[in-house]
Amino acid sequence: MTGPVLPDGGTVWLSFFLLALATTLPRASFIVLGSRVTLPSRVRRALRYAPAAALAAVVAPDLLVVNDAVAVLNPRLGAGILVLAVASRWRNPFLPFIVGMAGLWAFQYLA
Amino acid sequence: MPSLNRLHLTAEFRAGARAGFRAFLPQSIGLIPWGMVTGVAMVGSGLTPVQAVGMNVIVFSGTAQLGTLPLIAAAAPLWLIVATALALNLRFVIFSAGIAGNFQHLRAPARFGIGYLLVDGVFAICVEPMLRNENPHWRLGHYLAPALWAWALWQLSGLTGILFADAAPQTWSLEFMATIALLVLLLPMAGTRPMLVAALTGGAVAIALRGLPLRFGLLTGLVAGILAGFAAERWQPAAVEG
Repeated sequence: MTGPVLPDGGTVWLSFFLLALATTLPRASFIVLGSRVTLPSRVRRALRYAPAAALAAVVAPDLLVVNDAVAVLNPRLGAGILVLAVASRWRNPFLPFIVGMAGLWAFQYLA
Repeated sequence: MPSLNRLHLTAEFRAGARAGFRAFLPQSIGLIPWGMVTGVAMVGSGLTPVQAVGMNVIVFSGTAQLGTLPLIAAAAPLWLIVATALALNLRFVIFSAGIAGNFQHLRAPARFGIGYLLVDGVFAICVEPMLRNENPHWRLGHYLAPALWAWALWQLSGLTGILFADAAPQTWSLEFMATIALLVLLLPMAGTRPMLVAALTGGAVAIALRGLPLRFGLLTGLVAGILAGFAAERWQPAAVEG
């Protein structure tokens, strides 16, 4: 498998600037505008669920979809399960990455 | 005597800076592995080292960078990349509201810079002490010292990862580092039942609808996940308000 094929350089930089707006505007919002508003609880809760939903929506197809089909037995999912097991048991921040990459290479070799 | 007054205020700023830096230093070490991993994942996903450094400086948000890398690498539409970053970072409006009162004496561009530097860890150590201290210079120092330290640490550890990944062969599949990072970030989030339901629904819907054009499935998964989280709260005794 070769590496990912990226869009052209201009599009990549444009996406960085748009991302900068998406990350800086929320952080700067109240600091710049200065109003001391308490957000309604419904909004606060939606903001809490959004990251989990978004991360899962990005990562799940990455682990389970191979060539546009759901594949339960594939090296990425195997490595992902290893990562979750290691990260839930040990606190060392490097360990999930070492075990995950080693697992991916091992499963790719076996597959 | 304005000069003496000024000197006094500077001393206040420095005292605040020292206190903030000392409070943040121990936990700031935790930024190093994340910065390195993000650097590796950026180059592993196909960015050039210059683009990776640019992303680290311009975007300066680990979660948003890691979360959108798979989308950038897959040439997903820009609006979807932005929508995903917003979903990951909109929660910062809560942090922003929490410390906004400390900086109202500053000009708007300075406040914008303060917003750019805002990260979870710095917010966590700043919010309480800054409420207790009346002096605006002390409070500014208490925020700026750890915030700038976090920025520098992030850039340096990111650069280390970028240079490492740039020297590694492409066959190492280093783009998988982003996937690993997202799983590690997701794990503590899924600690409560509504959060777990939100994540499982988001993932399942994104997979089920992966055939939709422009990766609409991801956006649908995101919205469905939030709604599922709300629904799951109803079957849980008195959700804890965070």
